[in-house]
Amino acid sequence: MLPKRKTPSRDAPGAAHPEASYADALRQGLEQAMDLSDRVVVVGQLVDYAPGVFGSTTGLVERFGTERVRDFPVSESAMTALGIGAAVAGMRPVLVHHRLDFMLYSIDAIVNWLSLWRFKSNGASSAPVTIRAIVGRGWGQGPQHSKSLHAWFAHVPGLKVAMPATAFDAKGLLLESIFGEDPVIMIEHRSLFGLKDRVPEFPYRVRFGQAAVRRAGADLTLVGAGVMVPFALRVAAQLAEHRVEAEVIDLRTISPLDLETVLSSVEKTGRLAVLDPTWGSFGMAAEVISRVAERRRGSLRADPVRIAHPDSHTPMSSALEAVYYPEQSSVVERLRALVSGR
Amino acid sequence: MGTLTHEAILKAGLYESLSIADGEAGTAKSLHRFMLRLRQCEEALAREYHPADQMRCPVHFCVGQEAVPAALSLLLRDSDYLYSHHRSHGYYLAKHAPMPALFAELYGKQTGANAGLAGSQDISFPSRHFFSGAILAGATAISLGSAFAFQLRGTDQVAVAGFGESATDEGIFWETVNYAALAKLPLVLVCENNNYSVFSPQLKRQSLDNISERVRTFGITSAAIFGNDAMLVHRTLRDAIARARGGEGPTFVEAYTYRWSGHYGPASDDLVGYRAPEELEAWKRNCPIKLIEKALRAKSLLADAENERLLREISMEIEECFRFAKSSPFPPTPDWTALNLSSATPEADRLLADIDLGDFDAHQESTQAKGY
Repeated sequence: MLPKRKTPSRDAPGAAHPEASYADALRQGLEQAMDLSDRVVVVGQLVDYAPGVFGSTTGLVERFGTERVRDFPVSESAMTALGIGAAVAGMRPVLVHHRLDFMLYSIDAIVNWLSLWRFKSNGASSAPVTIRAIVGRGWGQGPQHSKSLHAWFAHVPGLKVAMPATAFDAKGLLLESIFGEDPVIMIEHRSLFGLKDRVPEFPYRVRFGQAAVRRAGADLTLVGAGVMVPFALRVAAQLAEHRVEAEVIDLRTISPLDLETVLSSVEKTGRLAVLDPTWGSFGMAAEVISRVAERRRGSLRADPVRIAHPDSHTPMSSALEAVYYPEQSSVVERLRALVSGR
Repeated sequence: MGTLTHEAILKAGLYESLSIADGEAGTAKSLHRFMLRLRQCEEALAREYHPADQMRCPVHFCVGQEAVPAALSLLLRDSDYLYSHHRSHGYYLAKHAPMPALFAELYGKQTGANAGLAGSQDISFPSRHFFSGAILAGATAISLGSAFAFQLRGTDQVAVAGFGESATDEGIFWETVNYAALAKLPLVLVCENNNYSVFSPQLKRQSLDNISERVRTFGITSAAIFGNDAMLVHRTLRDAIARARGGEGPTFVEAYTYRWSGHYGPASDDLVGYRAPEELEAWKRNCPIKLIEKALRAKSLLADAENERLLREISMEIEECFRFAKSSPFPPTPDWTALNLSSATPEADRLLADIDLGDFDAHQESTQAKGY
């Protein structure tokens, strides 16, 4: 039997910290936030039942009670408004949506009220509401359980948008959102919930607007967010077998967007592909590419590429899902062609 | 008057039930003074609005609808939260927010309540916990959250939302009523039923004109009252606010009233033909200020000299507000990012550890292996 591990210190290297899943990292973040401040409340459908929200709220109600871990009627619109009014009165609400698609009932509350609360009070009042929105994929989630509308929210001033790709970032960005002063939409991809990495047990922060270089490479820059980060890493690993070294940048948050990290990578590689887990048109990938073009057009040695879903709603059938979502080996082929100039 | 509806009120003609009971003289005089000040303020703004054209924002005047804000001005504490619809000036003054900053806001000036960013239909005064907005039922639903916060923290604060009957066309209004009732929140919902959504009357939009009855079926205390009787409005809201403060849950009050001006701007929009001239005349005979003045005079609580002194004081205050607003500077070009997002994170700085991310960012083998 292994000796009992000591709790690593705060400045211990990453590998010294225990492993946790993305779902458990979110749960830790919520639990620690509620411990740190009695202003933190978690509101959403079924948040007080044993399975929690895919494990991310499990155990909270036993510790904090149904007052602060609040099941809510299927009234997403009023739920978001409630979050705003509570935040304006000093609370730190976290709203949870099992699927982003249901959150669309609350677009008025988000766009007409939440996003401009700080603006229209000239900074005298703020509404730090954290909205967790989970996006599904696969197993026939179909057109009403799989939409990732991160670009919609990033388009609106006054909202921050986080798309954590790792368990470490999920916890750090969640805590940063809860205790930050701005409203945050946190897009969580359901298929990431089982991923594990090193997660410190204490409450820490991951700041907005600081991208991570997940893999270094000189031939090509791959920019992704959320679920496209592990995909990009797998693509990069396969490209390496063909002696193409891709640099993988995880944006972590798309609003604000860390352009500088992308620019310095593109200056080095001269090639850019942006992987966006949604439809291609008018989206995050287009935004990244146009910002690079505005600032470093001369650095680009090849036409930039968007890797995204077709401009179509998501099909249910597994046969169609297989051709709808970007497929690894065809993406690899496309990027090899980009690098070789074919 | 039987079941209260706009039709029943018109049929009943002149309202003669306003009463000032023993011990209510002070309240009556304060209500009168507030309504007079609000009326003068709105009429002065309306006179200046056109053709000067220096207030370049949509303004929804509340002439004729003074009673609800007047009652709230006497009943709410500084720590209570008040949310209003776009016809906001009465509510702004009900929270004792300063009149010069209201005027300057309409002129788009730096000294405005929101430095010219919000205007009349989105004005707020956060230090006095007053907020408003133009998208009908949105602010009503937001009041739910403040009431929720008060309940969680166990304070005796209350949240009050004022809105028009059109807000009850919206689904979110009924979601709000349901949750306020379910959670027994310290919330008072005041519906100023002025019968019109711009031009469209209630019965063209709703199958029945019985909002207060429908709300009652959700399990909350609900009342429909004649909303131009400021004394009655005051008594009703006093009880509602006391119930909320005492932890007895939410109350809905439907106060029937009438807007004298057009939907927005100072000019009449009656040329559209959406309401009969006799209807407006009937409501003007039931003017909330006239009704309370009559009762005050009957009790010898308002002498001509006093009324004239009051009017003079108010008119001097308004003149000073115009001078302040017109002489104030326009706002400078802002830092747009700073206007929309906070540049500081004091709570996160205080509570969260800053660690070196680089080491974690470089160790993502598990992500790579198990991704899907």
